[in-house]
Amino acid sequence: MKKLLTYIGLSSLLILGGCSSGGSGAEAEQFPTKPIELVAPATPGGGWDATARAIQKILKDEELVEGNINVVNKPGGSGEVGWQYLKGKDAHSLAINSSLLITNNLLGQSELSYEDFTPLAVLTTEWISIAVANDSPFADAKQLMEQLKEDPSSIKIALAPGLGNNDHLSFVQAAKEYGVDVSKLNILIYESGGDVVTALLGGHVDVATMSISESKEQHLAGKFKVISVSSAERLEGLEEVPTWQEQGVDMVFPHWRGILGPPDMTEEEIAYYDKAIGDMVETEAWTELMKNNEWELFYKNSAESAEFLKEQTQMYDTLLSESGLTD
Amino acid sequence: MGVDFDVILEGLMTALEPMNLFWIALGGFLGTVVGMLPGLGPATAIALLIPITFGMDPVSALVLMAAIYYGAMYGGSRSSILLNTPGDGSAIAATFDGYPMAQKGQAGQALAISAIASLIGGLIAVVGFIMLAKPLASFALRFGPAEYFLLMIFTLSAIVALSKGAMVKGFISMTIGLLISTMGIDLQSGVHRFTFHLPELSEGIDFLIVIIGIYAVGEVMFNYIGIDKPRGKKKEVGKIWITKDQWKRSKWPIIRSAPLGFLIGVLPGAGGAIASMISYTTERQISKKPEEFGKGAIEGLAAPESSNNAASVGAFIPLLTMGIPGSGTTAVILGAVVMLGIKPGPLLFENDPELVWTFINSMFIGNIFLVILNILLVGLLVKILDTPAKILYPLILVLAFIGTYTLSYSPIDFTFLLIFGLLGLAMKLLSFPIAPLILAVIVGSDMEQNFRKSIVGADSALSIITMSPITIVLTLLTLLSLFYPMILGWFKKRKLNNLPK
Repeated sequence: MKKLLTYIGLSSLLILGGCSSGGSGAEAEQFPTKPIELVAPATPGGGWDATARAIQKILKDEELVEGNINVVNKPGGSGEVGWQYLKGKDAHSLAINSSLLITNNLLGQSELSYEDFTPLAVLTTEWISIAVANDSPFADAKQLMEQLKEDPSSIKIALAPGLGNNDHLSFVQAAKEYGVDVSKLNILIYESGGDVVTALLGGHVDVATMSISESKEQHLAGKFKVISVSSAERLEGLEEVPTWQEQGVDMVFPHWRGILGPPDMTEEEIAYYDKAIGDMVETEAWTELMKNNEWELFYKNSAESAEFLKEQTQMYDTLLSESGLTD
Repeated sequence: MGVDFDVILEGLMTALEPMNLFWIALGGFLGTVVGMLPGLGPATAIALLIPITFGMDPVSALVLMAAIYYGAMYGGSRSSILLNTPGDGSAIAATFDGYPMAQKGQAGQALAISAIASLIGGLIAVVGFIMLAKPLASFALRFGPAEYFLLMIFTLSAIVALSKGAMVKGFISMTIGLLISTMGIDLQSGVHRFTFHLPELSEGIDFLIVIIGIYAVGEVMFNYIGIDKPRGKKKEVGKIWITKDQWKRSKWPIIRSAPLGFLIGVLPGAGGAIASMISYTTERQISKKPEEFGKGAIEGLAAPESSNNAASVGAFIPLLTMGIPGSGTTAVILGAVVMLGIKPGPLLFENDPELVWTFINSMFIGNIFLVILNILLVGLLVKILDTPAKILYPLILVLAFIGTYTLSYSPIDFTFLLIFGLLGLAMKLLSFPIAPLILAVIVGSDMEQNFRKSIVGADSALSIITMSPITIVLTLLTLLSLFYPMILGWFKKRKLNNLPK
């Protein structure tokens, strides 16, 4: 009995933590008419969940939306479960998304594409880095690519958590520019970015491709060397690391996150979110959040996002087929 | 590098601030509770608490989350001992002798020794942390795919060898577990295996569903079958404190298991389940009375309890020295502290020594708090044994379903829960050992992925055995654990034959 009581006590505490009440003074007809629901298509604790909860907090603290806003976790299928859920909802539901929405579809793992939704915003990007061990024979990305050109399977490349993701495809695109036969690359997939770091530190792989947030601290501590970043300009704190563009590859490769709405939203509803999200990315709390996570502002409003997703789809389509993952 | 005691003391003072003491106590309490409940593990609890930590001081947040983590190690074994349903992977080994002890009327003593063992294991590990954090971190890096693969083979062989007299059944049980672990996307090729076009299955089946289904639901079904039989005399609860003799038997197993668990905890990806299992089998194999193991031998409970708590401390070493999470729970903690502006990584010790040492000292205080809390709770918890079955078992079922739902918020998991419940029932009726299956589910997919990574660039699959000194040692240990019982049995037989009739 005691056990049950503690359980009820605990769960109500957790629920309270999730949804302390906000003001509910919205007029009757005006959007939103009920609490807004933000879908994190992942379990609590991961990057998508963290993004969703940060958005929830800032929108609420800064009073950028009327009424309450709740985060709902719908994990599974690399976002598929959460986005399927969103598809059947009205404009009071939103979901976090990333390029997985596009690549899942291209890889044949999902029926959904960005055209099934209303893109509302692209928020932030992380940049992608290439790292090698300190005692690596490759001083820069050029030397690495020359070696791969000669023998594409002579080097073990680590990445996480799945083939066809940004870390993978950015490397493929760069290698392709150098004339490497990218279908023969020797790629080892690890479960998480942490495992990739461990593998490189332990000398179990030759090269690793991962987010800046995963490699920066190791590089600064001199544990391994970052030899290239996927941004257009050199990054703050990593000024000594050249971009791909400086090393002869005309490529800027973002790893972005955005917000989707359900299909068939009215213009009024879209405008409402454009305002709220546009204001949110200007807040100090948002700047602080990005700094802590090594994210960079990559804001695009609803109209720009739709255009951006279209371009991205074409790009990923080409990359996936060239890397041998799709026909 | 030397250890700077001024910094350590300063950290102790910060950890002793009333506010931090409050967080330690709260975290320890919450951890004990979630650890006790089947399915609600520390990772879920911490993930749900993340929004609350947003406004907190980073040090307090880290202290709170860590307390939940090791608190759950104390709590996890409570339900293993009392109900034969482990709350988490690392509490499985506690069912082997903990539950038989409770059945023999020693529930109070079982609960007490597991708390004491956890305390000693935790304290030894904290000392190890202070002295050896950095060298151990670089030792852990030497574990590549081949080493992990062989470590997991060793763990599995140890547990199969454990099913004495029923090796074949143990082996079948393990194989079913390995089969279950192949479900989901194969990382190396991106192919979906046995997912039946269900997106919910793309990441495989969470091992916690298997644990809750087979142990908790299976146990309830098993008891339901016998519910009409008259129950024997009321179960004795026994004394709450352990006897001198029990302490004598447990002392060395506890002390031996702590460093072992600590070392395994340091390896990213190994964790409490493997640590407690290896400690248990090691103790059984060096014991003078191995036949008592599995029938309520107190050292068979003390050893894994010391080990898994030491492992939970060790798991923080890769996190704090390299920024690499060593377990599912520390991965969640990493995500949370990053949001607060802490940057765990190789520079954390230099940039933020106060945070690190406050944290380490909080583990000292937390372990002491937890042992007091858990011993105070013994009197209350043993009452569970007096609860009539018609109240207790429905309650367990409710908890099992809630726990399952919190794993991925997907009702489809309830179906799997029931399937595994039926599987558990069948295994109990046919007396198949359950632990090999569970452990295989826990390590199976990592084992496969590591094997496939290790043979990339290797001459042949067998050449990974001689890849490094570590792989050779692990291979020898595996052979030893498989054939040791056989050799031992052979010697015994000879001895018996030599006795005069």
